[in-house]
Amino acid sequence: MKQWIGTGGQQHFFSTTGVFKSAGLCLIMIGILIFGGGVVLNPAMAADTTIDCDAHKGICSQSSGDLTVSLEISPRPVKAMQDLVFKVSITGASPAKPPHIDLGMPAMKMGPNQVALKPTGPGTYEGTGVIVRCPSGKRTWFANVIVPEAGEVKFIFDVIY
Amino acid sequence: MGFGHCIGMCGPIVVSLSLNLKDKKFLIPHLLYNTGRVVTYSLLGGIMGASGSFTLVASHIAGIQKGAMIFAGILIIVMGLAMSGWITFGKVFGDSYNPGGFVSRGFQRLSKIKSTAAYFPIGLLLGLLPCGPVYTALLAAAGAGMKATDPAAAIVKGMGVMMCFGLGTLPALFLVAKLADMGWLKKREVIYRIGAVLMISVGVYFIFRGIRY
Repeated sequence: MKQWIGTGGQQHFFSTTGVFKSAGLCLIMIGILIFGGGVVLNPAMAADTTIDCDAHKGICSQSSGDLTVSLEISPRPVKAMQDLVFKVSITGASPAKPPHIDLGMPAMKMGPNQVALKPTGPGTYEGTGVIVRCPSGKRTWFANVIVPEAGEVKFIFDVIY
Repeated sequence: MGFGHCIGMCGPIVVSLSLNLKDKKFLIPHLLYNTGRVVTYSLLGGIMGASGSFTLVASHIAGIQKGAMIFAGILIIVMGLAMSGWITFGKVFGDSYNPGGFVSRGFQRLSKIKSTAAYFPIGLLLGLLPCGPVYTALLAAAGAGMKATDPAAAIVKGMGVMMCFGLGTLPALFLVAKLADMGWLKKREVIYRIGAVLMISVGVYFIFRGIRY
């Protein structure tokens, strides 16, 4: 079936089927880009998002091989968009350089947000940082503690917006 | 950085602006829109650099960002309604429709955003939209300001960080703009009808998100 379709006073002759195919193709393309873009181009999206740390309650501990890392974030409850203190304790490794924390969201790439840690005692470190607010409303964040030459340990937790 | 994020968060706005251009060339309006965004980012970066505190500035601009999000939603809805041709604003406002009134005049202007120059102030305003990677870049701008030796250097460093961030978002948004601007797509009336429905939905979503933010 064919019909006339006008745009701005100009008449074009298209087959209805062709128009709908084009419309479908267009919507699929833009849809993939807009709504799927974050997933397709963000490998972090596929990461495990199981919350393994209740940062609002206190210290969380995780192990990876011989490395055991404890993380405490204060003030509690842990809220976005405010200055936070990150305290890290490390056992099972003696890092040559102080560790640092990579903050991010499992569901969305938020850009590099690192917390530099300074030694406060044997195996203990401290630094300040900010967890920013994601307008999508998603609240799950991770803090990946990177211990130079020893490995890394990831904590996944919820924050309050 | 954040190619997918840019497309996901700002893509609907860019598509709306592209469709609104109809037969006009997309390059200059999108260049102006993106220049507006980068200028706003740079100014915010300068303020962050000068203050050296992300949280201090962020708490002050939160209300403005909420307003920008709601405005973006209204803008997209008005563009969608104007593009669909289904509803004229006389019909929306009924007998009380007065093109001389403040609100009516505002809606009328928004619905007629076809002037190329209008894309610059839109970019300036929508550069205030809250967005995770923007916040992260602002954190870096505040950090750069904190490390600077004097206030002028802090402002310049903060502005530089945010300008680079803004420029980095251009390829993703130009790609979306180009896809939505393809001539063979824009000649299809049905695309406009479907596009209008999508724009109105996206606009409502933006307003909802803005109110909840």
